[in-house]
Amino acid sequence: MPSSSSLPKLSLLSTLTPSSPSRAWLTAPHPTLPLLATCSSDKSVRIYSLTSFTLLSTITGGHKRSVRTCAWKPNLKGESVLATGSFDASVGIWRRYDTDDLNPKPVIAPVDFDARDENIDEYDEDEWRFAIVLDGHESEVKSVAWSTAGNLLATCSRDKSVWIWEEVGDDDYETIAVLQEHEGDVKCVAWHPEEELLASASYDDDIRLWREDIDDWGCVGVLRGHDSTVWCVQWEALTPNIYGEAEKLDVKEKWMKRREASGPRLLSCSDDLSIRVWRRNPKEKVPQSRLSIIRSGSSEEDWIEETRLPVVHSRPIYSVAWSKSGRIVSTGGDGSIVVYEERWRHSGTGTETTMLGARRDTIDGVENNGEPKADEAEPMEDVTGVNEAAEDANGRVATSSESGSGPHATNWVVVAQIEGAHGVFEVNNVAWASRKVPTGEGILEQEDLIVTTGDDGVVKVWRLEI
Amino acid sequence: MSAILSADDLNDFISPGVACIKPVETLPKQAPKEINAYEVTTEDKIHKENAPPAQISLTDCLACSGCVTSAEAVLVSLQSHAEVLNALDSQLSFDPVDLHGNDGSHQADKKLFIASVSPQVRASLAATYGVSESETGCMLDQLLGGPQGLKSGGRYGNGFTWIVDTNAMREASLVLGADEVIESLLTPDTQGCSSNASPKRPILSSACPGWICYAEKTHPHVLPHLSRLKSPQALTGTLLKTVLSRRLNIRPDQIWHVSIMPCFDKKLEASREELTDIYWRSQPADLPSVQPVRDVDCVITAREVIMLADTRGISFPNLPRQPLASQLAFPDPTLSAFLFPKPRSPRSRVQSPEAGTSGGYLYHILQTQLSLHPNSTLISTRGRNADVVEYTITSPTSPSPIFKAARYYGFRNIQNLVRKLKPVKKSRLPGARSSAAKTGAGMDYAYVEVMACPGGCTNGGGQIKVDDVPLKPETALSQKEWLARIDEAYFSMEDDSEDDHERDTAMTDDNSSDPGDLINGISPSYVKGILEHWSASTGIELQKLVTTSYRKVESDVGKVGGGENERVVELAGKIGGGW
Repeated sequence: MPSSSSLPKLSLLSTLTPSSPSRAWLTAPHPTLPLLATCSSDKSVRIYSLTSFTLLSTITGGHKRSVRTCAWKPNLKGESVLATGSFDASVGIWRRYDTDDLNPKPVIAPVDFDARDENIDEYDEDEWRFAIVLDGHESEVKSVAWSTAGNLLATCSRDKSVWIWEEVGDDDYETIAVLQEHEGDVKCVAWHPEEELLASASYDDDIRLWREDIDDWGCVGVLRGHDSTVWCVQWEALTPNIYGEAEKLDVKEKWMKRREASGPRLLSCSDDLSIRVWRRNPKEKVPQSRLSIIRSGSSEEDWIEETRLPVVHSRPIYSVAWSKSGRIVSTGGDGSIVVYEERWRHSGTGTETTMLGARRDTIDGVENNGEPKADEAEPMEDVTGVNEAAEDANGRVATSSESGSGPHATNWVVVAQIEGAHGVFEVNNVAWASRKVPTGEGILEQEDLIVTTGDDGVVKVWRLEI
Repeated sequence: MSAILSADDLNDFISPGVACIKPVETLPKQAPKEINAYEVTTEDKIHKENAPPAQISLTDCLACSGCVTSAEAVLVSLQSHAEVLNALDSQLSFDPVDLHGNDGSHQADKKLFIASVSPQVRASLAATYGVSESETGCMLDQLLGGPQGLKSGGRYGNGFTWIVDTNAMREASLVLGADEVIESLLTPDTQGCSSNASPKRPILSSACPGWICYAEKTHPHVLPHLSRLKSPQALTGTLLKTVLSRRLNIRPDQIWHVSIMPCFDKKLEASREELTDIYWRSQPADLPSVQPVRDVDCVITAREVIMLADTRGISFPNLPRQPLASQLAFPDPTLSAFLFPKPRSPRSRVQSPEAGTSGGYLYHILQTQLSLHPNSTLISTRGRNADVVEYTITSPTSPSPIFKAARYYGFRNIQNLVRKLKPVKKSRLPGARSSAAKTGAGMDYAYVEVMACPGGCTNGGGQIKVDDVPLKPETALSQKEWLARIDEAYFSMEDDSEDDHERDTAMTDDNSSDPGDLINGISPSYVKGILEHWSASTGIELQKLVTTSYRKVESDVGKVGGGENERVVELAGKIGGGW
């Protein structure tokens, strides 16, 4: 089994200590520092070190109910800003000056913000400072997300709405949009890595895309297909990364060209046990008459379901994440962690996939939902009848099927899996983090880590050994 | 908000507030017949009759923000086009001609049906059927009171005796609103105190019921800022019920008043206890057993007008486009001239686009201020979107602006308004000292016109939607284009009556007021004269008639109250409900 050795292995690197006494919802890795922020139902956010794997500080005293979500503001230097969303319907913004001695700091007693009234002016420079509370949602806040530039904050709630806030001054935020088209609890919001385009996922089974048109934010696309709650949406990195070697260079070129035209893809996971990848169908550039003063077309975007990942999970999939290196990891109610890779497709992928199927015998018999899904609207002339991979994949392979300029150019394969990652507990969230590890010659090398957060209040860090 | 409180959402997942005081399972499948469904059923009544299970009334639901959707289900059942038909079929129509010396007490078993119509509804219907705004007014009159309208069917062949344009009382509201602002400017600094005399600056308009409902539930700190004036709908309701009950010597509950509005939330307004006869009837001891009677019994929207006609098999577009042949005289000649100006086109009711689509409260206040300060100029600055506009009046004699006001439409902009009005207080959270100083700043406005709907009242939730209009594909309109068409109809009011030669003389016909004191086409002295006449003829203090009050409505959401609530919440979280 030659290819077996090339498969990554998932191994537990560390369990963060001490863990939360009650259910933990989500862990957000800091964009630049080796820090992790874990949201807990004990109304606190716990800041852990990704180097010592211990608790550094705790944000308490702000929220009156479970902290459901948090997000680090990007593009900051010298200071870290964290947005927190809670079941108490409020969003908090917190600040802390970055200190140099982050790494080996010993365990610190949780910051006691309850004593704040007495000594409101006596803050340590390296403690968390509350900046502002953003009120407006009428019910539990489920997800918060900063735009790539960091100037916009999106929040969503059980009240079925998505709000967009703009920072207009120091700790001063304005509501610039309240989007109410969803017909159910909005579970997740995520910003496009480059454009000011927001994706939201909902209990109404839909994914919606939002964009500003002149001065009004509006829905520019509805991605329908999931048969149940969409728990999570995530964007692909700006640069795609496909594993393996392409068989034909022209196929690869075509694929890359199309990917360039459509931009980063969108990833979604659902209660319907499916994980789907969505791609923008770029609008054809209609040459405009120089005389025409009418803007061509609407802001509506056409998105299609490009493919589904192999079905592995047997319970609702709560969380997915797409790494910068192109891998996808998923987790959910069944407690499994599954890692997927997108590979250049070979006409004879049979060997590999059979092997993969054998290795994952625990999940045999799972219905093959990895069938490629073609969009009727797509021109099919490029499809060249290379469909056998999907047939013999035993549920393990999903083929990027739709035509355009890259028929069946890639497929997704399961490369690693762990069951019962948090024992009998559900895993609520999975995220990619990275750390620098010294190689033999003393050079620091970036290593992808997987961080899972569970109902047991535990946060685990996993290595993907390649 | 209007977008939420729309009948379209009725199939929503209904999630009652965790701590809803009225368990859903006790909801009756159908409203019991012996209770007039348009009445607010109170707890007392239910206990007394010991009959059907508890009913969630709209008033009950307003106390709990946790279940807007279940509230709206009740709302729609209590105030709908079907309810209008039920009311018409419930009793014989009161005959104002059959009076014994202006005494209608011998007709105690009959009901007087009256209707009032807002200009935005006419604009919506006009745009839908491609007719002019004044023709639409005639068609509505024909539907509600004409022989080919509702009178052509039903158990008793009842129709509406009088159909009033709410524009009349809107003018009263404008004049009073301008005075309220002038008065608040005379008070040295109302920022600190909250005396009952006048609202805190900036005064916020209170005509939009969605905004009021939201402020009461979510932002009680803005309540002292709200204009105390009743909305045109409420003013029209109070006027009709007070005047007609006194003049005809009948009980207020013998008068059944339907209001036709662009907005679902107006149903919420109509159900406010503050807008019932207990706030103005002189001797409550006279009628000890009588339930509060609403000034407006039922509100239906433009869309429901069409349903009303359809249900009776009447084709609205085919109704005659002429005024009713005969119109019974309103029992008070002075008010008659005010409510039914001749010709149909009133003295001055041309809407200027600058006045906006929501009645022009801010516009009238600005015009009043301009008239008070000769040589002053008005500058408007657009905010970050079309629904935020700031107005500044400057005078060559003053270095700083002499008057500042703004318009905030739409939910998202309201968010920023209420945040700026938040009192500066030590935050419950640490570190707020840096930002605390900034809150409350930048609110040097004297007045802000606030409306919940983006685009204002012509875009109300009850208006006919572009999708409802059967148009050929090639003429399909976007929502924006559709709104522009309604706005056009709204602003074109009366402009189409070019052949109306009486128009120039209408002023003097109506009243002997001096045209010289016109502001924004309205004569304040004439309007004030009418209001005084109203107060004098009914023997009720004017303040009681034209003002109302607001109260904080406790919400259970997001608050850790008693242990019971918390436990329920925790439980919901444990079984995954928290997801």
